[in-house]
Amino acid sequence: MDGMHDLGGKQGFGPVDVKNGDVPFHHDWERRMWGMARAGLLSNLTIDWFRHGLERIAPANYLSYRYFDKWCVNYMMIYLDNAQASMDEVLSGHAQTPADPAPAKTLAEVIEAGKGGHVKFEVPIDALPSRAVGDTVLTQRIMPVNHTRLPAYARNARGTIIAHHGSHALPDAGALGMQVGEHLYTVSFAGTELWGAEADPRDTVMLELWESYFV
Amino acid sequence: MATYDSDKAADIHEHLHSHLPSDPALRVKALESLVIEKGLVASQTIDAWVEAYAEQIGPKRGARVVARAWLDPAFRARLLDDAAEAIKDFGFEGSATGHLKALENTTDTHNMVVCTLCSCYPFSILGMSPAWYKSSAYRARAVREPRQVLAEFGVELGDGVAVKVWDSTAELRYIIIPERPAGTEGWDEDALAAIVTRNSMIGTDRTLTAQGV
Repeated sequence: MDGMHDLGGKQGFGPVDVKNGDVPFHHDWERRMWGMARAGLLSNLTIDWFRHGLERIAPANYLSYRYFDKWCVNYMMIYLDNAQASMDEVLSGHAQTPADPAPAKTLAEVIEAGKGGHVKFEVPIDALPSRAVGDTVLTQRIMPVNHTRLPAYARNARGTIIAHHGSHALPDAGALGMQVGEHLYTVSFAGTELWGAEADPRDTVMLELWESYFV
Repeated sequence: MATYDSDKAADIHEHLHSHLPSDPALRVKALESLVIEKGLVASQTIDAWVEAYAEQIGPKRGARVVARAWLDPAFRARLLDDAAEAIKDFGFEGSATGHLKALENTTDTHNMVVCTLCSCYPFSILGMSPAWYKSSAYRARAVREPRQVLAEFGVELGDGVAVKVWDSTAELRYIIIPERPAGTEGWDEDALAAIVTRNSMIGTDRTLTAQGV
């Protein structure tokens, strides 16, 4: 979707806050949200649905919520959508019927558990790749109204395939709860193709794109 | 089970926005007490994760990988061939490293990484990303005016240097191997790792020095 999340190339944000932005967290609540996210509290959903949930935060709120605030409300949205919690429970922060407490894990246990995040997204398919390294591709101009990972700035643009990664789960399908494999490539775009004379002719932008993102 | 209903998600977000307190600290507190009472996680487990990312899972891991790549040509070759496998030598595999790729900076190429669509980042090897990496300004500008962004980070590029921006919007993640600075001949892995900055592995720092930072 052409949402506010699709920020590549948008102008007017001013300089990057290099100095104050150097730390990962500014507030303790941000650390708590990250800790919850690492603990694996979501199940029976795709990463694409999680990302699409963030994209459905209204545009003005998307820009004004801090990063981990977006995560917090997205967790709430997912629990509500899953019917794992009621609106009253989410707003009050209390379960109507408390469950048995989860067992506590130690530092060593969570560090070991973290290795489980080393997940592969390959989905083997019979179809052979239709493109090869060195091919020129033209990207689609119109993309689906739902989730997609072709950024607006790289649409209707010509690039060159520099790598093929096999078949990976297509995010557009993942956000609809389906697992569909499609060949994935790294495409190199000249800066001048994307930004015209504004770009430095020496520079390139690389994107991983699925086959259906090409014309 | 998720409904995968996009408009429903938007409606829920609107309702939450209207009814939640505006202070995000209170929102996160409500979420935390709810998931604990629902038996999904223990408070001590959240503490442990916070501690893990404060102490052990962070850019020191990436710096160790870079230092070994500088010292050991065979490891460097394996890292460039399949970084997701090579980091298992250290037990550093984890969140968002399943399709990790390593990129080499050279005298005429500078790499930098962004995710314009969210803020994808190789957590298990670099820790939680700095706030600027997640900022709208960086996400918007890195692909369009990378040289201006690099200048804001104090990066100076020679005339012959091309900038390659990697917009990591799929599941591939990147770690940059910066150039080893002069004056570090004979250094061991610990000493080398100590001068590798986090930003040099994202691409917003380029010239490392034997003095460190």
